[in-house]
Amino acid sequence: MTRYIIRRVLWGVLLLILVTALMFVLFRILPTGDPARLRAGRNASPQVIAALRHNLGLDKSLLAQFWIYMKEVFFHFNLGYSYYSSAPVRGLIAERLGPTVSLTVGASIVWLATGLPIGIISALRRRSLLDRASMGTALVFVSAPEYWLGLIALYLFAADIGKVKIFPGSGSYVALTSDPWKWFTSLLLPWLVLAAGSAAIYARLMRGSLSEVMEEDYIRTARAKGLSERRVVLRHGVRAAINPILTILALDVATLLGSAILVEVVFNIPGIGQLSYTAITHSDFPIVQGTVLLGALFIVVANILVDIAYAYLDPRVRFS
Amino acid sequence: MSIGAAELWGGTGAETPGDFEFPLAGGGVAALSPLQLFWRRFRQDRVALGALVFIVALVIVAIAAPLVVKLLGLPGPYVQNPNLTDSFGSPLGPSLAHPFGVDQLGQDVASRVIYGTRVALEVGILGTAVATLIGVVVGVLAGFYRGWVDTLLSRLIDVVLSIPILLLGLGIGAACAVRGCVGGTVQPGLGLVIFLIALANWTYIARIVRGLVLSLREREFVQASRALGASNAHIMFREIFPNLLAPIIVYATLLIPLNILLEAGLSFLGVGVRPPTASWGQMIAAATPIFNTAWWYMTFPGIALLLTVLAFNLLGDGLQDALNPRTAR
Amino acid sequence: MGSTRMSLSAAFAAALAGALVLGLAACGSSGSVSGGSGITVAKGIQTPQSEAQSGGKRGGTLTVLNQTDFEQVDPGQAYFNIDYQVIYATQRPLFSYKPNTFANPSPDMASAPAQISSDGKTITIQIRGGVHFSPPVNREVTSADVAYAIERGANPNVGNAYFEAYFSSLVGFKQATGGPFPGISTPNKSTIVFHLSEPKAPIVLAALVLPLSAPVPAEFAKPLDAKKPTEYGNYQVATGPYMLKSNSAGKVLGIGYQPGKSATLVRNPNWSSSTDSRPAYLDQIDIKIGGDPTVIGRQVLEGSDMVQNEAPAQSIVKLAYEKFRSQLQISPGAGDHYIAVDNKQGPFANVNVRKAFWAALDRSAMNKARGGELVTNVMTHFIYPEIPGFEEAGGLKGPQVDYNDYPEGNTAVAAKYMRLAGYPSGRYTGAKTLEIVGSTGSPSAEDAEIVNQTLKNLGFKTKFNLVDSSVMYAKYCGVPAEAIDVCPSVAWIADFGDGQAVLDVPFNGKNIVATGNNNWGLVNDPEINKAMDAAELVVGVQARAAAWAQIDRKLVAQAAAIPFDWDKAPGIESKDVAGVGDLWNSGGWDYSYTSLK
Repeated sequence: MTRYIIRRVLWGVLLLILVTALMFVLFRILPTGDPARLRAGRNASPQVIAALRHNLGLDKSLLAQFWIYMKEVFFHFNLGYSYYSSAPVRGLIAERLGPTVSLTVGASIVWLATGLPIGIISALRRRSLLDRASMGTALVFVSAPEYWLGLIALYLFAADIGKVKIFPGSGSYVALTSDPWKWFTSLLLPWLVLAAGSAAIYARLMRGSLSEVMEEDYIRTARAKGLSERRVVLRHGVRAAINPILTILALDVATLLGSAILVEVVFNIPGIGQLSYTAITHSDFPIVQGTVLLGALFIVVANILVDIAYAYLDPRVRFS
Repeated sequence: MSIGAAELWGGTGAETPGDFEFPLAGGGVAALSPLQLFWRRFRQDRVALGALVFIVALVIVAIAAPLVVKLLGLPGPYVQNPNLTDSFGSPLGPSLAHPFGVDQLGQDVASRVIYGTRVALEVGILGTAVATLIGVVVGVLAGFYRGWVDTLLSRLIDVVLSIPILLLGLGIGAACAVRGCVGGTVQPGLGLVIFLIALANWTYIARIVRGLVLSLREREFVQASRALGASNAHIMFREIFPNLLAPIIVYATLLIPLNILLEAGLSFLGVGVRPPTASWGQMIAAATPIFNTAWWYMTFPGIALLLTVLAFNLLGDGLQDALNPRTAR
Repeated sequence: MGSTRMSLSAAFAAALAGALVLGLAACGSSGSVSGGSGITVAKGIQTPQSEAQSGGKRGGTLTVLNQTDFEQVDPGQAYFNIDYQVIYATQRPLFSYKPNTFANPSPDMASAPAQISSDGKTITIQIRGGVHFSPPVNREVTSADVAYAIERGANPNVGNAYFEAYFSSLVGFKQATGGPFPGISTPNKSTIVFHLSEPKAPIVLAALVLPLSAPVPAEFAKPLDAKKPTEYGNYQVATGPYMLKSNSAGKVLGIGYQPGKSATLVRNPNWSSSTDSRPAYLDQIDIKIGGDPTVIGRQVLEGSDMVQNEAPAQSIVKLAYEKFRSQLQISPGAGDHYIAVDNKQGPFANVNVRKAFWAALDRSAMNKARGGELVTNVMTHFIYPEIPGFEEAGGLKGPQVDYNDYPEGNTAVAAKYMRLAGYPSGRYTGAKTLEIVGSTGSPSAEDAEIVNQTLKNLGFKTKFNLVDSSVMYAKYCGVPAEAIDVCPSVAWIADFGDGQAVLDVPFNGKNIVATGNNNWGLVNDPEINKAMDAAELVVGVQARAAAWAQIDRKLVAQAAAIPFDWDKAPGIESKDVAGVGDLWNSGGWDYSYTSLK
């Protein structure tokens, strides 16, 4: 078992290095603009631009730049400095982690809490009107672009510009530590919007998974044993059905943590997605690399955890 | 986008995906052929049938867009008309002459929504086709040869899946603006979007196909073929591939709506088809600065997007149910 | 909001007048020749010239909502409008402008107007006493601090963008690398002297309103300036009424300024109102960065104690005009927008093709896309309102030539010039596909699309691209080697109120550089170049206005670029804010004069 874990972790680290290398090369070879030129401003003489390039280390060879970067990251956990504000990338990311985590974790709770029950009910009442209606609605939410939903939600429900003023508007996010109530209310609408599509997906997943499980023999056995239908469904059915969903959940959350750009932009939540979006348009490489690395880290960790869980549950996997 | 796709491939790849129990090609009994069986089941699903009809209509509209626009008496999608904005430059809303209103340049929104079907379908279908092609090739190779080929390709898939696609798309899109990249073969606009979409989604198909091939290659008919001395290529193309066709079509159909949404997302972030070409995603993006005074500009393209994606989702579901009677009924 | 890049905003009309009248035998009075533009601002709307600069209520916190982040907060690096709201509230340059003027700069860190020697090569300035740096430096400002501030402009770690442009005539400029050099000397702690190798005192003096001349304590800043790039911006001290909030070590980053998120200005405890004419009513200014501009606009208009300190979204300006008129400010003379076309190669190298394009363009439509007559005027030549020479160059209507006479475009005139260019059908029939690179964001994108359509109507085939504004300048339009045919989203704001500041850099052939080029059209007419070099040395406001107006007319005759918009900048505030905008900074709200009602 430990050897399996070690293998997975080693591969995870290698993966991180590969991804970082790939993004590094990509953004150097296909630059959106020379950061030195972008930063130098109007009227800047070529000497100023050259000096800036030198200061930012951009005139070294690609390999040298890469080696320096990797050394800093993996040995010193130093992700470099923003080309624009000279602020340390690690600091920028750290302070934006909170909002993104708040958004993602909160949304996942919402979509699980709404999606799973709907999926269970739909699975039990297959082909009924309830099933069709909920699956239909789910499908609609899956089909809409989330930023569009976000904009419409703001237009309809935001306290400052909406028609029916319920929720705080865009830009009202505050940290949990400074004002818990305001933090909570400012995230309600983003949670709902982010969760809408996912709730739908998880409802469908649960429906599909549970339907399959309910056809299994051991369910019939449980019924034959005289257990109440409720126990049969919850204790035996859902428990089995939830396995594949958990794997997907881990990866979904991990991916979102690295890239909930659209919702963050629409609701102006100062998270990592928004940071990376601005950084790309400014060719602020260090920030872009930092956020990509972080996103990859989340996914790798989630993958490892899921693999380990599977290996624990199913010994055959360990030896594949 | 990633969430929907996760549903698609449904798992870590450590297990093989859901069984596709369907009659193999070349069965011996004089019964309905698998295709006929499939069609009969599909036909009974009213909703999926409706979605298919809608999509066919969409295709027709896309192809005959200029004709449709003319029949409806609308101006063309690129006709700028400053008289249709008020003295502050705000566009006028829906009226008889312009049922969906106009945009900031005075261009008719209905006309642009109609022309937008072209981009949506091109991006959706072409992008998916390219992604599927790559995915199938990689998946078949990985699943069939196993060993180090499989390891290498699976690791490649892992790497690509670990990269935040939207960020990558933004970066490449921004970098390839104006002059294009890959030596000019990838030009900004439609070509670039299709390139990015293919890059983002081939991994899902690859994983699924790999799993399918892994299970198929152990089946008796493959062993039989091998015993008869068939070459690897023959086995891959003649024995395994035909049995992949159905699931590939299903998953590809489910991928199309994701790709359409991905294009919308990319357009929103500034990487998309170039103006003045009309694309629904880009219209929504352009409508964002004025969305609370010009609701029509954002709403109608959004609804068009919604309906199209919905239709493809329903179609994909219907195909899946028709091919997998067990999970449906 | 528009993503056009705004650079230095000060139009310093009689800066030169003041200096020249003092030191040289100036001819004529300074009054009759400045702007006088005849630009009308709609009724019932306040302008920086109409807002009261005194009598405000003391106290309170102003909340500022800005969509865009600052570019730089280090006074030695800041060069954008958006940065000035913070810079000019916290730093005191040698001279500065009152909010309602961009003529006659007032002495700020200087205690009196400068003295210029009769040969025009020495400028002597007295430093005001009793001004102290904010904590943790605390001590009194001396001339050495002003000298260091300007010297660090030459430091590559600071990378000041305009040091060479305006201070190259200082003696020993070429050897300057951040340390002392002969061009600046400080005979005692309250005097600073500039030694020039050429008689370019007017330009040097005019440049002293820029943030570079705000004092910087050498002992505190030197270790920070040694870092690559400098970190002084993250640890700065202030001399103005406000300072960026900092900790006891003076660290501002993460405390008073969180990039991309917020900035906080608090009162500078060491600022004394007896040394400064600024009233400084507010106790604190909280700046929040980011968000959707429509949402920000609504929040400001419907909320309280808020302003937006950048151009609001168009729909918001309309809303403000219709429903919140008393909360809207319009600031004239805020710069211009025009289309740069490649004068050197391609179809636009032919002057008649350029004239045809000028005639064909619907400038009213271009301006409507920017918000209509409330915030624009049709641009008919190149010197813009409030700048000396505007009237002499044709005023509002501009030179009366047929391609300039039709603000809504005229296809017949356009066809005429195409025929003159050698296309008998009146439309382009050549093989070249035009490369157009505009900038994303409303309204630049819409304007670029209008340009695209106009060119198509003239018969051109086009390859149309929109990229982020900074990328457009840095990678495409600002790089001559890329040979972009049409750059429809370029804009200009003069550094001072003088024709040279409007025309020289964008249109003088000698200013074409390989990167960071601002002569986007690669304009290089030998006759015009010669005229500009001669006009640079002309002395006296009236004479300079006349000289540069002549050059403006030549540029129009050559259709060197295609003008379309003279900007009038809108600004919005909440109903309980008595905002005072800076005319010289496109109406940006001035924190030192604004108060809460």
